[in-house]
Amino acid sequence: MIGESVPMLDSVARVMGTVDYMINLRLPKMLFGKIVRSQAPHAKSLKVDVTNAMRIPGVVAILTGEDLGANAFYGVAIKDQGVVAVDRVRYVGEPIAAIAAESLDAAEQAAVLIDIEYHELPAVFDAQDAIQAGAPNLHEKFPNNIFKHAKLRHGDMDAAFAEADEIFEDTFTSPVAQQASLEPHVSAAQWDGEHLTIWTASQAPFMVRKSLSEIFGIAPEAVRVIVPSLGGGYGGKGHIRIEPLVAAMARKTNGRPVKFVLSRAEEFVTVTKHAASITLKTGVKRDGTFTARQATLYWNGGAYADASPMLVPAGMVRAVGPYRIPAVHVDSYGVYTNLPPAGAYRGAMSSQTTWAYESQMDIIARKMGWDPFEFRMKNLFVSGEHFATGEELHDVHFVECLEVSAKGLGVPSPLTPLPKGEGQGMRVGRGYGVMMKSTVATSKSQARLKLKDDGTVTLYTSTVEMGQGGHTTMAQITAETLGVPLRAIKIIGPDTAITPFDSTTSASRSTSMMGNAVIAACGTMKKKLFELGSPLLETPVDGLRTENGFVVADEISISFGDILKRNDLNTVEESGEYSTSFGIDPETGQGVATPHWHQGAGAAEVEVDTETGRITILKYSAAAFAGRVVNPRMAQLQNDGNVIFGLGPTLMEEIVYDGGQPINPNLADYSIPSIRDIPAELISICIESGEGEMHGIGEMTLPPVAPAIANAIEDAVGVRIKDLPITAEKILRALREKSQR
Amino acid sequence: MILNVNGSRHEVEAGTRTLLEVLRDDLGLVGAKEGCGIGMCGACTVLVDGKPISGCLTLAEQVPGKEILTIESLEKNGQLHPVQQAFIDERAFQCAYCTPGFILSAVALLNENPNPSEDDIREYLSGNLCRCGSYQNILKAVVEAGKRLR
Repeated sequence: MIGESVPMLDSVARVMGTVDYMINLRLPKMLFGKIVRSQAPHAKSLKVDVTNAMRIPGVVAILTGEDLGANAFYGVAIKDQGVVAVDRVRYVGEPIAAIAAESLDAAEQAAVLIDIEYHELPAVFDAQDAIQAGAPNLHEKFPNNIFKHAKLRHGDMDAAFAEADEIFEDTFTSPVAQQASLEPHVSAAQWDGEHLTIWTASQAPFMVRKSLSEIFGIAPEAVRVIVPSLGGGYGGKGHIRIEPLVAAMARKTNGRPVKFVLSRAEEFVTVTKHAASITLKTGVKRDGTFTARQATLYWNGGAYADASPMLVPAGMVRAVGPYRIPAVHVDSYGVYTNLPPAGAYRGAMSSQTTWAYESQMDIIARKMGWDPFEFRMKNLFVSGEHFATGEELHDVHFVECLEVSAKGLGVPSPLTPLPKGEGQGMRVGRGYGVMMKSTVATSKSQARLKLKDDGTVTLYTSTVEMGQGGHTTMAQITAETLGVPLRAIKIIGPDTAITPFDSTTSASRSTSMMGNAVIAACGTMKKKLFELGSPLLETPVDGLRTENGFVVADEISISFGDILKRNDLNTVEESGEYSTSFGIDPETGQGVATPHWHQGAGAAEVEVDTETGRITILKYSAAAFAGRVVNPRMAQLQNDGNVIFGLGPTLMEEIVYDGGQPINPNLADYSIPSIRDIPAELISICIESGEGEMHGIGEMTLPPVAPAIANAIEDAVGVRIKDLPITAEKILRALREKSQR
Repeated sequence: MILNVNGSRHEVEAGTRTLLEVLRDDLGLVGAKEGCGIGMCGACTVLVDGKPISGCLTLAEQVPGKEILTIESLEKNGQLHPVQQAFIDERAFQCAYCTPGFILSAVALLNENPNPSEDDIREYLSGNLCRCGSYQNILKAVVEAGKRLR
């Protein structure tokens, strides 16, 4: 079962359009919600008058800051964000009020009648502007707007830079972007006394539960979070999103449920990818080795810290790169600005950091006269070496990832010089990128199995099915480990009332973490079945195995169902857990950053039209280390998806703001890759290790895309782009500047 | 007004609502979904007289007398349409929010052009977006479905 490419369990529903996404949810007596948002990027003395809005027929209740209790501020680590704004607004799009009405029409009519007054304040939108003396301050507790400073200190920098023959210093930027799942954020909530049920398109049901229990002062068990299949997440539905507002609104509707569906424009002000400015100062010796790297990272967290206090330190370890560097210092700053809060975006933080360190690899190689491929191969980490956190690396395959992706370009050797293109102005080039990414250091997954006397097995899991095939994967792991046919398995969850704990479905952790919890649950279930079956089979426990729903001895076997029946049991339930607890010292960054490292690489062959700056990706070849692969074709599909998703931030995605107002919050002016944007030839390979750990593969080949393409562009036409996205205009401008030199 | 949807006549009070709203809210046909609301993503694709259109940009009052087909019409007597089956066989979806739209666009393409080139497919499906990035397998699925239908 493990290693078989079975189709997704609910494939038929997926092609028939019958998957029960949140958007389809209808509840008895359900009301429709609408959010009224700030049009100012920064203002104080907020006054909200709902008198006229309440007169609209069909309006049931309106939520404002006045309804909120003292605990109505939330955040993953810093509770700075109001359920709706209280007295102050800090970004365009911040919720100020919400309406629950009998129809969406009524809610929308009421929305325009809510009178809002505020006193506008100076605002700041760029992280490096925000840390300057005299910049507008967002939160009094953080006077310089820096809410997080993560530090990594490894080695003697002065001595290490003194040993260098050349020192390179470059700054690379990434703009604000948006996860843009086609399914928007959708949540519905209903109160029954002091019990809250929330249905929500979330990647992190237990984080939602914890947060709501704190906001409303009720026990976690009094909050039930139900998550159906998601229409994409990509980090944008991670952590806590609209759930607090939706639950607070529902608290005012006398037990009637209320549902909110965000519009596409609202999506763009709900969560974003951190804009980042990353400066790398890197020392190298003439023999092609590194002496030191100093990385300074400014992450634009937006107006509220949200998940950034966790992501900014993750970005720190993800900024070093997969190379042997004796001395490394990193300073990673999370900064408040008057933009919407930023969160995880597929390949979280690594997209920005890999863009920086892999671009600089080629800058160094070209200046020093080294081949970029060989320079990487010479310096890539191998198993047994130590990373800048001090931890020993195990099961690392960066060299293989780079080799395999380079070979995929289909040339005899990655070093064969390319013909530089045919025809007027067309130039071809090749480039590479390699990524080293941590997953969540400390997290926990639990799984519960219920075996019934009809032989069916139900797996209760809080892994969210968001298109990655998580439920299918877990069913396969169950089938293999327990020894039951796949068709006997049913999956339930997430539903925090009945499915056990899981930290989150993100950071490509589920196959590894939940997979191991499922394996543990299967182990205890088998043990139980052996104990119950041993007397029936008159065989000691150690002479038993399971196969196809039977406990098998040498010449005799009995079905799981019959074992239960013969023991007068209707059901047997067993649980399993898998957790990791690693971490790094907050002052030095020393410790263990991750249970294992995510590894990916990419090789691009691009054609640049020197007359228009237009880029065509002729070939792209990607490789990820996947360990033990559960479902090869689905793994490959996700691997392909990483590359295609990655083309977005590389070539086109950027939210453009004018005074804090997003001017392209729609899918006409904010482009995401279409089928016409994919490379003519796209290869993606999962490097397997049959006996290895199971690794997630949801992001590995994404972050190398941008630097591989930028490096290929420099190879083709000799210009270096350091600011994403790489548009034709930027290339043309760089070409003109180059020709004028 | 009377709408002809999936071969049946439905009397609806559409007012100024879009075809997508009427299909979803009145007729319970929820396979088509709003993704962007401005006709860019194709998640709301339905076929009107065989042509793929954006349900979010079409007013219901524009389409009485026309033949409207939604994803719900494709499966017949427990048999998936060859395009649907090819999408499963080629693993042409992940979250599948976009899938009904892609399948209907592919059905329309293959009706118009039973043997499309890869470029034809890319051109025809460029109005449907898949954020998970399943495009490679979608291409394979449409090629495969074309073979099966010929």
